[in-house]
Amino acid sequence: MIEYNHMEQGEIPADSELGVKVIGVGGAGANVLDRMALEGSDEAELLTLNTDVRALSTSVSSDKIQLGSTLLKGMGTGGDPSLGKQAALEAVDEIRAAVRETGIIFICVGLGGGTGSGAAPEVCRIAKEEGVFLVVFATMPFSFEGARRTEQAREALEAIGKYANAVIAFDNDRMGELIVPKDGVTQAFAAADKIISQSIRATMNVVFRPGIIRIGMDDLLSALDSKDSRCLFGYGLAKGDNRSHEAVEQALKCPLLDKGRLLNDASAVLVQVAGGDTMTLYEVQLVMEEVNKHVGDGTQILFGTGTDKRLGNSLSVTIISSITGPEGGQTTGSGADNDEEASVSLGGVLPVSSPFTAEEDEAVFEEEADGGSGDSFLSTPEESGESDQAIFLEDAPEEGDEASPTGDDDEGDNDDVSDAVVPAADASVDEDEEFPVLAGLEIDDEESEEDDRNPIARAVEAAGDDLLSSEPVFGSDDDGGVDRVEAVTDAEQKITLTRMVSDSNASPFKARLPEEIGSTSSDAESEVDDEALEGNLSEEGETSEEAKQQQEMLQLEPISGKGRFAKTDPTIVDGEDLDVPTFLRKK
Amino acid sequence: MAVSNIYVGLEIGTSKVCIIVGEVRGDGAIKILGVGQHPSAGVRKGEIVDPETVQTCLHDALARAEERSDVEVNAVFLAVTGSHIQSMNNRGTIRVSDDQMEINGEDLEEVKKIARDVPVPAENGYIHSIIQHYYVDGQEKVLNPLGMLGQKLEADYHIINGVKTRIQNSIKCVREVPIEVEDIVFSPVAAAQVVLNREAKNEGALLIDVGGGTTDYICFVDGVVVASGCVPIGGDHITNDIALVLKIPLARAEKLKVNHGSASLKNTRNIEIAIEGESGKTVEQELLNQIMNARAIELLSLVAEPLQKQGLLAKLGKGIFLTGGSSLMTGIGDVAEEIFGIPVQKAGSTAMSGPSALFENPQYATPVGLIRYAQLLDDQRPKKSALSKLGKSFEKIFGGGR
Repeated sequence: MIEYNHMEQGEIPADSELGVKVIGVGGAGANVLDRMALEGSDEAELLTLNTDVRALSTSVSSDKIQLGSTLLKGMGTGGDPSLGKQAALEAVDEIRAAVRETGIIFICVGLGGGTGSGAAPEVCRIAKEEGVFLVVFATMPFSFEGARRTEQAREALEAIGKYANAVIAFDNDRMGELIVPKDGVTQAFAAADKIISQSIRATMNVVFRPGIIRIGMDDLLSALDSKDSRCLFGYGLAKGDNRSHEAVEQALKCPLLDKGRLLNDASAVLVQVAGGDTMTLYEVQLVMEEVNKHVGDGTQILFGTGTDKRLGNSLSVTIISSITGPEGGQTTGSGADNDEEASVSLGGVLPVSSPFTAEEDEAVFEEEADGGSGDSFLSTPEESGESDQAIFLEDAPEEGDEASPTGDDDEGDNDDVSDAVVPAADASVDEDEEFPVLAGLEIDDEESEEDDRNPIARAVEAAGDDLLSSEPVFGSDDDGGVDRVEAVTDAEQKITLTRMVSDSNASPFKARLPEEIGSTSSDAESEVDDEALEGNLSEEGETSEEAKQQQEMLQLEPISGKGRFAKTDPTIVDGEDLDVPTFLRKK
Repeated sequence: MAVSNIYVGLEIGTSKVCIIVGEVRGDGAIKILGVGQHPSAGVRKGEIVDPETVQTCLHDALARAEERSDVEVNAVFLAVTGSHIQSMNNRGTIRVSDDQMEINGEDLEEVKKIARDVPVPAENGYIHSIIQHYYVDGQEKVLNPLGMLGQKLEADYHIINGVKTRIQNSIKCVREVPIEVEDIVFSPVAAAQVVLNREAKNEGALLIDVGGGTTDYICFVDGVVVASGCVPIGGDHITNDIALVLKIPLARAEKLKVNHGSASLKNTRNIEIAIEGESGKTVEQELLNQIMNARAIELLSLVAEPLQKQGLLAKLGKGIFLTGGSSLMTGIGDVAEEIFGIPVQKAGSTAMSGPSALFENPQYATPVGLIRYAQLLDDQRPKKSALSKLGKSFEKIFGGGR
């Protein structure tokens, strides 16, 4: 048996004392940081590093470090990376102090210039020496900025790639496609900054947001893990009736995804769907269907979903992936020749082991690396990803045109409609959130099993007409379907389960586990699953606050009112609401 | 017609989406080729509230139907229902022009147009205009006035109408799948095609289709439709009542209803029924039956009331035919008999080729009926096409029976 820490999935808990830091290096990096600050970023500390003191003084980030104060005397580097590097070395102690005791660092940098290209690799090196998990968002210069800058950028990217755990490279040329040619330069750069800041935020959210089906750092790494590659990134946020569709659309529209075309070549795609309390399982399903249309058959989908109260009525979709091959080379534009030489750095995932060996948290990160390369004991999340894919693919075909929203003109009240969508039997919205939990657990348990057809029968029988009829129904022919339906069946026990969660008490879950595992998994797997589930439980603990809030409603709803007809048009005859049980009215 | 035709009936019900592929042979016999069904979601009280979810279910049902029947489904006959659907009887009168003695097709069209010109709410559209009787110069109950001599032509029509947008939403939902909708049919009109035979229609019969979300009814007297309607209450409500009163989840309520409950208070044994999954919790048989009984009485009374007012109940020589999934509920026949005071029988479709479990099961009366409806519609088309390009007159179906 493999002994390992519960953090093996490379998750850095949001509540850990090791915080998140976003570091902007150079002018472009500072711009992105300003953008982030502008949009409000409460979960991360922002740190700007720059040589130009004037630019630094206008930055709005909370911490600033001036690079090369004696060397450059507050001036910029004039586009010379060597000056940038020396400037960074001059401030090495300050940088080291800043990155120390940080769990994860996002560095955003515009490559090609002096400070960015020169200082960023040094910052990365220092961060790595401090054992920080490092994700770099780098922008490659516009091709019109000239070959020299492109070359500098390429070299810097290569250097950064040696240190970073993941590099996400943005191509400014492609950014340019975001905006109409006649738009001002300001808008062009603002759009680019915005994308990067969104990416950082989304990546943070993906990894830190309490997930129902959670995505860990390992998922992120395996999504980015393909040799000779470049990163694809898409993010969409939408609200309103058609939010799931719009969010996907928006995400696919991101220039790096090229309208989703590039996803077809990806070997692994990470998709995270997040929304407020109102997010429904069905919306998640829709999103996945849409994404599936753009993803090749062999592609592994790493799926995650989570709720975040801050999103309110919005729904966000994050797509992260990387592609290999000539397509990447072609579309990289200015960096066309980069791909051959700097392939590793663009690849995003690098051998992580060496920088870590001396560190205390070795165990954690080594296993993380293992997770990235898909080692056996971590196969669980991958497989669950696959089984998710199976489910959604099953539903995907024949969808013809995008199912456009007909909900708007359907019934009078839009809220009603969208709530009526909500499948849950008793309490609509809140219980829904529990479905994915159950689904996730079930999948973890059973995904590797040969299909046991009985569950269908059992589930169908147990659920009877009404639970099934009130569900967005998954193809119950496939294995995935079985899992889902079972989860639905378990919906009867939702209330009880929620209570367990809200107590942050793992034991009731454990009590459930052995029988499931015993019946479905081999011994070796059961141990792994057990551990994995414990991991899940600890995450559930984080969301216990939310669960507690929901609990009240769950208990109250079945008692009064009209039950499943609460959200429909009332049927009133002779002044009596016929949706209320006759038995209660006549009494 | 020597060629056999294949028709597809689609019912998007509150509890299930059901597609039936049927072949009509040259001799008019129907053979059921395949059935695809899927538990429904996104439908409340017979109406689609979440098109996208419905489409997911529809896809599944469609895939199964196509697989089993080995037929590619392009167009369907769609059953519609919902509380918005109303019906009424109206008479239209025209004077046949003096220089023309024989009543021709144009006259029939015109009288139909006039008869249809009833005050319906602006947002409503016609689903069916079903001819009841023609009157030629006061002569009663002429079945086919075509070619008759006369000066005054009157026609009684049974007009079924519903809110246009709601019906269009159903159609849109299906078209987006994409499947073409050949025609829409009010559910009980379809069900009556296979549940009631000509004798029953002539002698007077009331078909009550108790479904998951709605209860639809259609009443035949003298071989023609005299009343139809929809009450937006069905088996779902009964389950819901049990869940609310006993404070148990819907799935358990459903199980209780199906396995232990009865809508009738007759033969109630004084026993405690253990509620599955709720350890130690029991419910008295009596209480359970009372809950179901109260709802069943109310539901059937709502159907009975308008018919009683029109004095139709006395004319139902063949009594009541209960169909639909919820007609399988124990004791509902007894309740119906109590309320209507006339004999009640539970019925599925009349016999045809295909898996007998299918047409005998009252759950499938409507979709199977759609096939029959399509057949009848097609039969009259060649005859009618010369007269009317509209091709939407259904006179023969109801006027002449089968």
